[in-house]
Amino acid sequence: MLYKKKSPLLIFLVPGMVFLFLFMYFPFLENIKNSFYDMTSIVRMPGSEWNYLGFENYKKLFSDQDLKVAILNSLKMMFLTVVFEVGIGFVLAVMVMNIKKGQQIFRTVFFFPIVISATAIGLLFKLFYNFDGGMLNQILLSLGVEKVNWLNPELAFLMVSIPTLWSYVGFYFVILLTGLSDISDDIYEAAEIDGCSKLGQVGYITIPLMKSVIATCITLAVTGALKIFDLPWVIVPNGAPQGVTHFLGTYMYQVTFGMNNYDYGSVLAITIVILGVLVSKLVRLITREN
Amino acid sequence: MKKRILSVVLSMAMVMPILAGCGATKAEVATTEATEATATEEAPEAEEAETAEVATEEKAPVTLKTVSMFGGTDPNAPIYEEINKNFMAENAYITVEDNSQVSDEEWKATVAADFSVGNEPDVLQFFTDATANTIIATDKFVTMDEIKAEYPEYAKDTLDAAMAAVTNTDGVSRAVPTTGYWEGLYCNKDLFDQYGLELPTDWASLTEAISVFNENDIIPIACSLNNVPHYWIEFLMLYAAGEEGYKTVPETAPQDWVTGLNTFKTLRDLGAFPEDTDTVDDAYVGQLFKDKKAAMQLDGSWYLGGVTETDNTVVIPFPGIENQKAATGALVGGMSSGFYITKKAWEDPDKRDAAVKFVMAHTNKESVQKYWNGNGQAACAVDPIDGMSPLALSGLDYSSKATSISAPTDSRIDPEAYKVIVAGIVKVSTGELSAEDLLNEALKINAARK
Amino acid sequence: MQIEKSKNKKSKTKRTGKTTSILTIVVYLLLILWGITTVFPFVWVVLNSFKESQEVLTSSFSLPKQATLDNYKEAFEQLNVLNAYKNSLVISGSVTVGVMVLSSMMAFGLTRYEFKGKKIVESIIVASLMFPVFSTIIPVFKMIVTLKLLNTNLAVILPQIAGNLSFATIVMMGFLKSVPIEMEEAAYMEGATVFQVFGKIIVPICKASLSTVAIFSFLWSYNDLFVQKIMIRDNTKFPVSTLLEEISSKYGTDFGLMAASVTLIVFPVLIVYMILQKNIIKGLTAGAIKG
Repeated sequence: MLYKKKSPLLIFLVPGMVFLFLFMYFPFLENIKNSFYDMTSIVRMPGSEWNYLGFENYKKLFSDQDLKVAILNSLKMMFLTVVFEVGIGFVLAVMVMNIKKGQQIFRTVFFFPIVISATAIGLLFKLFYNFDGGMLNQILLSLGVEKVNWLNPELAFLMVSIPTLWSYVGFYFVILLTGLSDISDDIYEAAEIDGCSKLGQVGYITIPLMKSVIATCITLAVTGALKIFDLPWVIVPNGAPQGVTHFLGTYMYQVTFGMNNYDYGSVLAITIVILGVLVSKLVRLITREN
Repeated sequence: MKKRILSVVLSMAMVMPILAGCGATKAEVATTEATEATATEEAPEAEEAETAEVATEEKAPVTLKTVSMFGGTDPNAPIYEEINKNFMAENAYITVEDNSQVSDEEWKATVAADFSVGNEPDVLQFFTDATANTIIATDKFVTMDEIKAEYPEYAKDTLDAAMAAVTNTDGVSRAVPTTGYWEGLYCNKDLFDQYGLELPTDWASLTEAISVFNENDIIPIACSLNNVPHYWIEFLMLYAAGEEGYKTVPETAPQDWVTGLNTFKTLRDLGAFPEDTDTVDDAYVGQLFKDKKAAMQLDGSWYLGGVTETDNTVVIPFPGIENQKAATGALVGGMSSGFYITKKAWEDPDKRDAAVKFVMAHTNKESVQKYWNGNGQAACAVDPIDGMSPLALSGLDYSSKATSISAPTDSRIDPEAYKVIVAGIVKVSTGELSAEDLLNEALKINAARK
Repeated sequence: MQIEKSKNKKSKTKRTGKTTSILTIVVYLLLILWGITTVFPFVWVVLNSFKESQEVLTSSFSLPKQATLDNYKEAFEQLNVLNAYKNSLVISGSVTVGVMVLSSMMAFGLTRYEFKGKKIVESIIVASLMFPVFSTIIPVFKMIVTLKLLNTNLAVILPQIAGNLSFATIVMMGFLKSVPIEMEEAAYMEGATVFQVFGKIIVPICKASLSTVAIFSFLWSYNDLFVQKIMIRDNTKFPVSTLLEEISSKYGTDFGLMAASVTLIVFPVLIVYMILQKNIIKGLTAGAIKG
C-alpha cells in the first residue's frame, strides 16, 4: 500500500463511521434493551416506570399470526423480486443490447418508475384499483362486466406485488445492461461463426460471464424485498384487507406507530435485521456455489 | 417614508426569529400585526416603538409558546387563529408562538416526547381523558385549584358540568374546556324517501333498510372497517351493554361487549358495509355518503360541517341492536379536551399572567360561542344562533334529546389497549377472530398498565 | 464506441439472415410493450390532472372534455407545493452532498490503506445495508427529540445520510479498487499530501461513479416517505413525499387534485433524471458492478 502514514486514515474513516454508529448501531442496541420493557411512550416520561417484561415480547413472536403472514409475504416477495425484477430486467437488458436503434430511448423510459416516488406510484395504482370509479373497473364497466373488488383478500397480494415488482425492474435493467456492455463483442462473433443461435449465446456466453453481476443484483433484490414499505402502505394500509398483505416493514410500522406498541415494535425491528443478515448470507452461499 | 420602511423591516427582522418554528401562515399574520403596530405608532425606529408600547402597557414583552390540536384541517383552526390574532392585538406585549396541529397518534407521541425532555409549551390544549395520563404523570401541569386561588376569575364562564367532564382520570381538575362533541347516525333522507323507507328507529327497521338499499346498489352504511370503525365499536358496545355496563372497565371481556362487537359480523353478513370496506379509508367512505352513494354514516359532530347538502341530510339517534340494554337516545359524546397551563409558564412571573389571559381569551363565553357555532356541546351557556341549516338543527335536536351521554371507551382504557380493539375489528367482522379473544387481549394490556 | 458496436451488429444481422429479422421484430415488440407500461401510467395521470374530479371517475381514458387548470390552481393554493419543493431540495441536496463526501472518503481510506481491523470496518459497512430504516427509527426519533431537532430539515438529513452511506461506500470502493494507483503514486512521491491527492486526483477520476452515488442518494432521499413522515410533523415544513401522502389521506377522494399533485411531484425529478441519465449509466458501468 502506498500511504505509510496512518494518521490521515482517521480523518477518512471516522466521520462516516460516526454516522453509521449513531444512526444504525446504537439505535439497534437500544432496540434490544427496549424490547425487554413495557414501553408506555417513545421516550420514558419523568414519573413513569416501564415494567420489566423479560422475554414476554419474544414469546409473542411465535404466536403472532400477523407476523407469520408478514414473514411469509416478505419471503414470497424476495422470491418474486429475484424472479421478476432481476429476471425481467435481465431479459430486457439482453434485448436492448441486441437492437440497433432506440437503445437510448428504452434506457430512459425503462428507468421511469424508479425515478418516481413509491408514494406516487402507490397513489396511481390506488386510482387503478378503486372499486368505485377506478380505472380497471371503468374498463370492466365499459365492457359490460360486473365490477370487481380488486383488493379483495384473494387478489390483494397479487395486486400489491404487481406495482412493487414492476417499479423496480428498471433498476436491475440498468445495472445488468452496463454489465452486458462489458462483454466483448468478439466472443459473440466467434460463437456465431461456430453456428451458435442467439438464444444459445445467451445461455453459453452471457449468463456465465454475468455471474457476479447477477449475484450482486440478487443480493440487492433480496435485501430490498425485506425493506419494502412505501408501496404496500399507500395501497393497502394496515395489511388490508383482513391482514393478508402485511409485510415486515409495514407490519412493524403499524405495530409501532399505529398501535403504539413500541416495545414489540423493537422486537420486530431486531427480527428484520437478523432475517436480513441470515438471508443475505444464504444468498452469498448459494451464488458462490454456483 | 424611508424611515418607516426601515422600521417595518427592522420590526420584521425582530419578529421573524421569534416566530421561527411556527407555521408560514401564522408567521405572516404575526408580522402584519407587528408592521401595523409600528406603523400606527409612527415611531422612527422599531425599537422605540417597542419601548413605547411597553411604556403604555407597563409590561415586559412575553413570548408564549402554545400548542393545540386546533391546527391544519381541524374545523376549529380558523377560529383558534382568529382568537389568537385578536388576543395579540389586545395584548401587544404578548407574542403567541403557536405550533398547532391536527391531532393524530404521532402528534400525541411528539407532545408526550416534548414533555419528557423538558420542551413542553406554556399552554397546551390537549385531551383530558386517559390519553393524557402519561403526560399527567410528569406532574408538569398546574391544577385548577392553584390557578383559581390566584385568579378567581379564571374559567368563570365555564359551566360546572363541563368542568366536571374534563376532570382528569386521577380526579384532579386541570384543564378548561371549550366544546364537546356527540356522535350520531347521519342519514341521506332523500335516499330513504326514494326507496319508500322510514328512517330507522330500531334494529328491525335498520336491517330492513340495509336489505332494501343493498338490492338497489346503494351502500347501506358508509364505514371503513380497516380505517375508522371507532364509532361503530362505541355504539354497538353501548347499546349491547347499556350505559352502566359500557362504562365499566373490566379485566376480562364482558358478554355484552362481545355481543356488541359480534354485531359487526351480523352487519357485514347483511351486506351493510361497502364492498371494499377492508381497504378504503375514512375520507373515501365519507365522500360516498356525501355523494349519495351511501345511505347512512355513523360519525361525530365534527363531520356535520363538511356535509354540503344540508337539506336532505339528517342526524338521528342510533337505531339500536337486538336485545339492546341501552335506552333509545343514549349517545356517545362528551367533553374530553381543554386548555392546560404548564408549571413552566406558571413559575415564570411574566408568563404566568400571560398564560392565564390566553386561556381565558379562548374559554370565555364569547369564544366558546364561536367554537360551538351550533355544533356539538358548548362548555358555557351559549346563545342559540340564527339561520341554522336543517341538518344542523337535526343535530342540535338529537343531542339535546339524548337520554344519556357516555364518553367513548378510549377515554377510559389505555390507548394501546384501545388500538388492539380497533385493529381487530376487520377480523371480527369476518369471523376470523373471536370478539372475546380480542377484548380479552386488550383488557389484559389495560390491566397491566394500571 | 457506440457507433462501432452497432456497425458490428449490422454485419451480424446480415450474416444470420431471416430468422434474426423476425427475432428483431419480436424483440422490438416486447421492448415497446414494456415501454408502454412504464410510460402509460404517467400519461394517464397527466391527462386526468386536467379533468374535474367527477370526470376522472366517469371517463378516465378519454382526453379531457374541457381541459381545466383548476386542479393545479388548487394544489398551489391549498398545498404549499413550491415550499415542499424547496424543502425537498434542501433535504435531498444536503443528503447527496453528505453522502458523496463521506462515502468517497471512507472508500478511499479502505482501498488505499492497510490496517488492523480493516475487515471489521468493511463488514460493519456491509452489514449496515441490512438495517431497514424502520428498525432504527424509534431510538433515532428519540435522539432527534432530545436534540430538539424535530421538525427541522436536519432531523431528516442526518438519518438519511447514514442510511445511504453504506450503499454509496460499497459502490465507491468497487470503483476505486479498479483505478490504477500509478497516478497517485507519482503525485505522492512529488510531495503532495494525502488530502491533496484525494482532492485533486481521486475526486476528479471518480466523477462518474460519484454522480451515480449522487443520483441514487438524491432519488432515495426525495422519495423516502418513512423518515420524512416521522421527523417532520409540522405540515408547513413538509417535503414533497409527505405532502403527497397528506393529499392522499386528506383529499383522498378528489382524484383530479390527486392526479395534479402526482404530476407536480414527479415531473421535476423526471426532468432532472433525463438530464443526468447519461452519467448514471456511465457511473454504474464504472462502479457498481465491480463492487
